[in-house]
Amino acid sequence: MAIKGLEIRDISATRYAALGISKVPRMTKLIDLSTCIGCKACEVACMEWNDLPMDETYRAAGGYQTIPDLAHNFWNLIKFNEVDNGNGLLWTMAKHQCMHCENPGCLRACPAPGAIVQYTNGIVDFVQENCIGCQFCVTGCPFNVPRISPKNQKVYKCTLCSDRVAAGLEPACIKACPTGCLQFGTKEQLLEYGRHRVRELRSRGFKDAAIYDPPGVMGTHVIYVVPYGNHPEVYGLPADPRIPALVSLWKGPLKTIGSTIMLGGVTAALLHYLTYGPMEVKPDTDVKKQR
Amino acid sequence: MDQLKQTTTQPRPYNGHKDIERFSLRERLVHWTVAVSFVYLMLSGLALYFPRLYWIASLLGGGTTIRVWHPYVGAVFFITFTIMFYPWKRCMLLYPEDWEWLRNIWSYITHRGKTLPEIGRFDPGQKIFFWLMASAGVLLFVSGIPLWFPEKFSWNVRLVSIFTHEVASTAAIAGIITHIYMGTIGVPGSLSAMTRGKVTQEWAKTHHARWYRRLKEKGII
Ligand code: HEM
Ligand code: SF4
Repeated sequence: MAIKGLEIRDISATRYAALGISKVPRMTKLIDLSTCIGCKACEVACMEWNDLPMDETYRAAGGYQTIPDLAHNFWNLIKFNEVDNGNGLLWTMAKHQCMHCENPGCLRACPAPGAIVQYTNGIVDFVQENCIGCQFCVTGCPFNVPRISPKNQKVYKCTLCSDRVAAGLEPACIKACPTGCLQFGTKEQLLEYGRHRVRELRSRGFKDAAIYDPPGVMGTHVIYVVPYGNHPEVYGLPADPRIPALVSLWKGPLKTIGSTIMLGGVTAALLHYLTYGPMEVKPDTDVKKQR
Repeated sequence: MDQLKQTTTQPRPYNGHKDIERFSLRERLVHWTVAVSFVYLMLSGLALYFPRLYWIASLLGGGTTIRVWHPYVGAVFFITFTIMFYPWKRCMLLYPEDWEWLRNIWSYITHRGKTLPEIGRFDPGQKIFFWLMASAGVLLFVSGIPLWFPEKFSWNVRLVSIFTHEVASTAAIAGIITHIYMGTIGVPGSLSAMTRGKVTQEWAKTHHARWYRRLKEKGII
């Protein structure tokens, strides 16, 4: 156990991860998309707490959004979207960051032992010292979140402020949110609160309001209350995120088949040597006759 | 004494019989560049593929080091394999008698049963190995590029590449296990073909009778 409060539950490319023994609640962030006003206080708080000032000037795209997409040093982005939802234009704003999946695709795909860890409290964290920079995690992630740093070729993303959480504090973004749209607590508490918000929204006419806690990755530790719950895409959230089938195949059955073929090949060669023996050169009768 | 000589595993030339040149210096240099780069690619690749074998990464300088070097060595492998490919591709074509040989491969493996058709410069097993490595090489190279620069490729391309890279490398490694076995202990006398460049006349007659006869006819030996 490295840090008290951050006991480990799962480690990339490691078979027998030491499961922590203390009883730690599963922590979760809730984002209520019906009360987000797009003020970007969370973006600033994230940059500030993590000491990640902007180091690049982006060409202005002419919009509200700070930068076009998440970056290695920008882990929390409000994405603004204009969509036609059938009865008029909808202007959406939604906070994007690592979802801290219960079954993290990045961790499954990572080949470097200890580069990605999942704590017992549910946070998925990157350990840059062990990262080799292959970016398999980017391919394994159904939400397209991790980003390689051009400075050191290591991968970064939102830590859910694991350092603050370990010390009993809420993440920086939560602390900064002025509307209460961001909440932090245990998963049970927040699901309860989310259901309450969904009921309220439905009574106000958002009949499709729902909680976004995608089952394809066994749920996430960042959940949303979505007014148009039947269309999370209008907020830029994937409708049915799951670990890509090719990643599961690659890290699962193909590995077994591959090791069987390789070990089988070596064994077959050795057995051939021991049973039938090598292909000996035949004595040359012509040569003998000549002598 | 003669009897002893005949069964010894390292055939030596009979007195008065010169060894035959099998691979030119150029062929050998190319082969060993291909071989060394392939072995590096295999070891570093296995370290990244099987967490159980990650310790190989430490032997090769650590995970980040192999992540950086693997693609460059891959480029060396691909280029040198291409240099090896063109001069050999014609002698590697499979003919009807090769298929006949392959149908009876079990007799070859067990050294008993049918007498097999005479073999030219390369036997059908070697030919298949050549084409296996050529096609795996192309697949590995093509699928390796998105793994080298993942930022430049779409999600789907990266997914298909990882998958292809892995299937092709498994096939190539299966091939190389057989090849290394046959090239070292499996067929005594063949390693010298790739080291000194020469084989004994008996070796040539035993394993590549048609090739041997052709050289005789041409008066090369
Ligand atoms: C590192 C271990 C290796 C050893 C000990 C080895 C040994 C040999 C030997 C002794 C031969 C001559 C066979 C003969 O005279 O008929 C040969 C030929 C050849 N080698 Fe290798 N080799 C190795 C790796 C490789 C690799 C990695 C490749 C290609 C990817 C390769 C491709 C070939 C080809 C195409 C031939 C000619 C056809 C054949 O013999 O199959 N070798 N090798
Ligand atoms: S980039 Fe780093 S964290 Fe991501 S898969 Fe590769 S080694 Fe793991």
